[in-house]
Amino acid sequence: MTRLTQAEKIQPHWWRKSLTASLLGLSLSYGVIAMFAWFGPGGIDAPMKVQMNMWLVSFIWLPVVAFSFLFKTATSAFGYLMSANLVVYSLFAVLWWLT
Amino acid sequence: MRIRPDILRTYQSIHTWTGITTGLLLFIAFFAGAITMFKPQIEQWATPPAQALQQIPTELLDSLIQTAVNNSEKAKDGFIISFNDNDSPIKWYEKGGGRGLRLDDHLRHASFNDDGDWVSQASSTNELGTLIDQLHRTAGIIGKIGHEDLGVLILGIAAVLYFLALISGIIVLMPTLVKNLFALRQHKGVNRFWLDSHNLVGVISLPFHLIIAWTVVVFAFHDLFYGGLSILYGDKPLFEPRERSTIEYSVSQLHSIDSYIAEVTPIAEGYQITSMEFSKLNSTSPSLAVELQSNGRMMRGGYSDFVYMHPYTMEVQYNTISQVEEGLYGPVVNSIFALHFGNYAGSFGRWIYFSLGLLGAFLFYSGNLLWLEKRRQKQAAQRKATKIMASLTIGVCLGSMLGVAVAMLATKWLYLLSEQVNSYYLSCYYIAFFAALAYSFVRGAALAAISLLRLLSLCCLLIPVTSGIALLLPQLAIWAATDIASITIELISLIFALLFYIAAKKAYHRAYFGEPDSIWAVTHQQSELKPQQNSSTQVLP
Repeated sequence: MTRLTQAEKIQPHWWRKSLTASLLGLSLSYGVIAMFAWFGPGGIDAPMKVQMNMWLVSFIWLPVVAFSFLFKTATSAFGYLMSANLVVYSLFAVLWWLT
Repeated sequence: MRIRPDILRTYQSIHTWTGITTGLLLFIAFFAGAITMFKPQIEQWATPPAQALQQIPTELLDSLIQTAVNNSEKAKDGFIISFNDNDSPIKWYEKGGGRGLRLDDHLRHASFNDDGDWVSQASSTNELGTLIDQLHRTAGIIGKIGHEDLGVLILGIAAVLYFLALISGIIVLMPTLVKNLFALRQHKGVNRFWLDSHNLVGVISLPFHLIIAWTVVVFAFHDLFYGGLSILYGDKPLFEPRERSTIEYSVSQLHSIDSYIAEVTPIAEGYQITSMEFSKLNSTSPSLAVELQSNGRMMRGGYSDFVYMHPYTMEVQYNTISQVEEGLYGPVVNSIFALHFGNYAGSFGRWIYFSLGLLGAFLFYSGNLLWLEKRRQKQAAQRKATKIMASLTIGVCLGSMLGVAVAMLATKWLYLLSEQVNSYYLSCYYIAFFAALAYSFVRGAALAAISLLRLLSLCCLLIPVTSGIALLLPQLAIWAATDIASITIELISLIFALLFYIAAKKAYHRAYFGEPDSIWAVTHQQSELKPQQNSSTQVLP
């Protein structure tokens, strides 16, 4: 492994990364759950699915937060998570519009 | 496996910070949680056996209920039928009752004696198990925000950090995982041994810890998560509101116990009914909670499943046992609860969870020790932060265990003072806890560790000794452990007395004969400053 230059290394940016990952990670997991809730197996009315969905929100959110510290800077964390959010919510909008 | 050094450094920082901020809270939650695995047994152990009246055959229950409601106005509102051999067949609240924890409820028990005559007696409730459960859920933090305990919310935040600590710990360990997992290196110094055991325990119980972290986050913040979910659901309500009835029934319209059993049996195959709680019988919202147990099934409650029925119309309103027609999601959701509660493999499973809980407590304790060791100076005078953290670690960890031990030791003796023992449990716990914490700061962690471990050992030893005294002096109103569960509790207490005794000996040795430049050493200077702390023969030159 070659030595990384200072610019290539992960920057700590603790507070900004934590905040970005917590908020955008949460909205991202809600986006995934929204798709799962409305268009996933059983549709919106499947019995007990509300509880399942509630559990799954944190199931996605916690790992997203944990691995967001791999982003090199707080800005790139914001960029990637924001794009992921946009992708998920637009997909949801498309599916919504189709059905 | 190779991981970039900057990633390792990043996650090492995360591991350190999340660990040191949550370790003490999680220690309390885990050791208390381990004890909570045997909450029903502990409550039975702590309840005077004379409180329970003898059980009667099921076919006599209807006439027992009839007699009870004829005899008592309070029984007309609601009562509890129990099928447990160690419990009275019928009980009702003369004061208190309903959801939530109250410490001064009054119960009345009733039964028929061998001649078929009606007998009844009053008692208090014993909440020792419930209070240990409360300690488990709140880490002993008092206060409420809305209807939720402040401690639960704080532990919820701690659980998020704990999840980060788990992931970061594993990432940091990755490069050396295969090589060093089972290496417990004792010859490389105490520090290395602590690190090796911390890593080993963390890795082998990782699935358990991931489940616990996730479920605790949800237990604490489910209201918030549902709040967010309701936005996604739009106009669709998350839960169908229950129809409000306006019909008021009276207790004379109740059905026979047999008919309730017949109603519940088909939806609870393989289950045994343990109790039936009738409540609000003279209102428009009467309810019957049938409690069911099954060994080796994933149950939704800590110790049982429930079927909620309308006691007059017999309509099943809610039921925690997964039904086939409910499809996939019901069993999955129920299993998540069961994975936290450890109720799915009978008593064997409970012992496993008990051990995992204690190992978890060890994980956080050893984590704090590692933090302290890393930061200690190679000199007699330690930094202030290190000293404070050492005192906190010893005071909080040993203090909380001491609080529980004192409450468990006091329980049988408290009944000599009063029928209402529950509030004394709280005094026992908090006095012992804060005294230990204060002591740890005043005398320093090194000395406090020795005395607190000795005290813990003594308390644990005196728990079975109390049973011995009860056998020797039957005229005292205390009682000996006689059933297997109670005897096991006291045996475990004996084992812990031994473990704490060994730990105290080790701590003593470490303080006086161990590495002198350590936070755990009672140093020469220190003993010169405070000569009353120890006799001169014990101090190394």
